[in-house]
Amino acid sequence: MNDKFEPNIVAFLCNWCSYAGADLAGTSRIQYPANLNIIRVMCTGRVNPLFVLNAFQQGADGVLVSGCHPGDCHYMEGNYYARRRFTLMRELLEYVGVDPRRFHMSWVSASEGAKWKEVVEEVVENAKAVGPFDQFRRNKINW
Amino acid sequence: MVDLDKLRTVAKETVSRDDVKYLIGWSQGTFGYRVSPHFVKTPQEVDSLTFSPLCSNNLATYLTLTEKLPVPRGEEPDTRKVALMVKGCDSRAVVQQLIEQGITREQVYIIGCPCQGVVDLQKVDEKLGEGVEPAQASWENGQISFQLPDGKTEAFPREDVLADKCITCRYPNPVLSDILLWDEVEVWGSDDYEDVKELDSKSPEEKWAFWQDKFSSCIRCYSCRNVCPMCYCEDCILDRLNPTWMFRSNNVVENTAFQVARAFHLAGRCIECGECERVCPVDIPLMKINRKLYKEVREKYEFEPGLDPESKPLQASYRPDDEEDFIL
Amino acid sequence: MESLKLSKEKLGDFVSKLTDKELLVPQKEGEALKFAPLAGEDMPELDYENTSVPPKNAVFPHTETMLQFELGKMDMQVAAGDEKEKVLLGVRPCDARAMVIIDNLFTWDVDDPYYVDKREKSTVVGLACHEPCSNCFCTSVGGGPASTEGLDVLLTDLGDSYLVQPLSEKGEVLCQAGADVLEKASDADIQGAEKAHEEAANKISRHIDTAGIPENLPSLWEHELWEEVSRSCLGCGICTFLCPPCHCFDMQDEVEGFEGRRCRTWDSCMFSEYTMHASGHNPRHSRRERTRNRINHKYSYYVDKFDVIACVGCGRCINLCPVNIDILDILSKVREAL
Repeated sequence: MNDKFEPNIVAFLCNWCSYAGADLAGTSRIQYPANLNIIRVMCTGRVNPLFVLNAFQQGADGVLVSGCHPGDCHYMEGNYYARRRFTLMRELLEYVGVDPRRFHMSWVSASEGAKWKEVVEEVVENAKAVGPFDQFRRNKINW
Repeated sequence: MVDLDKLRTVAKETVSRDDVKYLIGWSQGTFGYRVSPHFVKTPQEVDSLTFSPLCSNNLATYLTLTEKLPVPRGEEPDTRKVALMVKGCDSRAVVQQLIEQGITREQVYIIGCPCQGVVDLQKVDEKLGEGVEPAQASWENGQISFQLPDGKTEAFPREDVLADKCITCRYPNPVLSDILLWDEVEVWGSDDYEDVKELDSKSPEEKWAFWQDKFSSCIRCYSCRNVCPMCYCEDCILDRLNPTWMFRSNNVVENTAFQVARAFHLAGRCIECGECERVCPVDIPLMKINRKLYKEVREKYEFEPGLDPESKPLQASYRPDDEEDFIL
Repeated sequence: MESLKLSKEKLGDFVSKLTDKELLVPQKEGEALKFAPLAGEDMPELDYENTSVPPKNAVFPHTETMLQFELGKMDMQVAAGDEKEKVLLGVRPCDARAMVIIDNLFTWDVDDPYYVDKREKSTVVGLACHEPCSNCFCTSVGGGPASTEGLDVLLTDLGDSYLVQPLSEKGEVLCQAGADVLEKASDADIQGAEKAHEEAANKISRHIDTAGIPENLPSLWEHELWEEVSRSCLGCGICTFLCPPCHCFDMQDEVEGFEGRRCRTWDSCMFSEYTMHASGHNPRHSRRERTRNRINHKYSYYVDKFDVIACVGCGRCINLCPVNIDILDILSKVREAL
């Protein structure tokens, strides 16, 4: 793939863990790739799988959903539901031909600034490897 | 074995009951081997009821499809039951609706019809051509025999004319019923999801190309949604304009998003009745995508929808130790 | 105009003469048979009953951009009428007749520029039916297996060749372009074709007498038959989307980032949102009203306005309805009730 390609990643982060984790990475001056467009949600359980589809349709080359570790959910069980939902969503996307490297999920707690960096690096690297997702863009077709 | 006299007697008794609004069964269609859903309100109408390998329609759809119109002032709402004839797969749709509390058990009286598999009319048309005169078919000793226009009959081995979903069917007997019309049939099917595995083993590019070819012919008639007994949201994402989840325009991107969303909304809910695939006017293999999710749900969560009315919906439940291999 | 003859072997040669125009022929797309541009060296395949999707898509596309805009800017670009000249090859006479029927609407009070442009730039080459489908009833609604309405050229299968009858100026032009491969038809050929047309018309097995229906249909407004025929309706769009004269559309503004477009898409009177008001009130609140509207529109309102039934008897709605709602069955119930 083209080295210059900088993927657009849409990241849905839960307010209580991953968003704080990303914040910690920032305040700790840990450098990580700047390809992320972060959307803060209250819980991964709030992330509708259609968000993922719409993100792809509107210009994302990769999507990341990140929340609290199992058992740590601020709302007790939101991330458990999200886990089932996105396990299936990922299988489905893979089945219709969306490269699995475009969709990731991670558990990053508020204290894991260093893990956040690793996660983002992996997500960006993967998206770079598969390239732009133009074939699933709304306005590239027949407009 | 199918006993139409018994079926009609039971139907007559059922519609005569005070607590039954109407009965939904099948009757001979207007041409060829077509069968249409038949709504029976009075005992006089039961004679046209039938049950044969042509009865593909999943009537459970009507439990949720029928409009709930406002009750005129001064009138009491009609709380009588709907009597419903079900095959094995249809009964699972009813059970899944019960699991999701789309209906309540008191609303429905279930008449179970153990089924030996229904035909795929496309396969029949290829062999016999499409007739004009209404004609019938029946199960006979492992074969399905079809009435021909000249009065003769022609029989084919079941495997040659059965719908694909019936060849792999594991639940031919109703899983829930108030009355069973005849003896349960022996289960013949097993499912190894060979077709799903085969497609799954291909590269993302090949899979993408395969589905783009299929989805590009979608005309967005929403028949797959409307016929589905599980698609009964009052406010469907496809109709919503604010926010607009799906654009109405017909192009391959929008169609793909629509089909992915439709399939996903059936994850852990699809009971494999195959109606979506049957009705699709452009023959998109929708069951191939539904079955993928069915397979994953079965393997990952040991869950099968529409079997136990007491179970919880898959996506509204969890186990702390659910698989999470892909999560970083 | 003089009748001509084209041997089937030379069909490919004839097609290759039409390179200045886009050629649409019935082709399998996925599993569906629909009109699509012919790719490269492919030969047109004209051995089919009828396409599952009617050719109306060529003049009235499922989705059509009307104008484009950018957010925050004042000007809009009206989608240009840069349509290429098209040849539709192998259109069944019923589908061609449907285009004439909807011409009425799209040129009624104002000409619809998008439709008219596409219509003017398409040459319709019809193929007379030899073997009507089991649910064809074109002869009952003013058409026929060799009806020439809406066609520029009519082809009739004569076994190893086609009789080519140019019917309009556009048809003449087309025949001149392919003059090298066309030969003069003999009287025997013409008679053979006429005989084939007659035989095909006799093979049509379903009929309905429409006399009196258009005037009296609205009098059955509250009749119980509507409830009866619509109870099994799923409310899907098959019968209308695949109906050649159905022409309802919806306008949508689609915005993506800062770009947007206004487009029109097919709509169906069988959808609940079709008549949904902004207030949430829906005057056609159940499938009964919607089914009643569909039949009334085709067989009464349209006749009232344009003096032609908006149904061509192609049988698609009967063949493809998932629950066997049969328009002929409805009409015969209407007849009984009148």
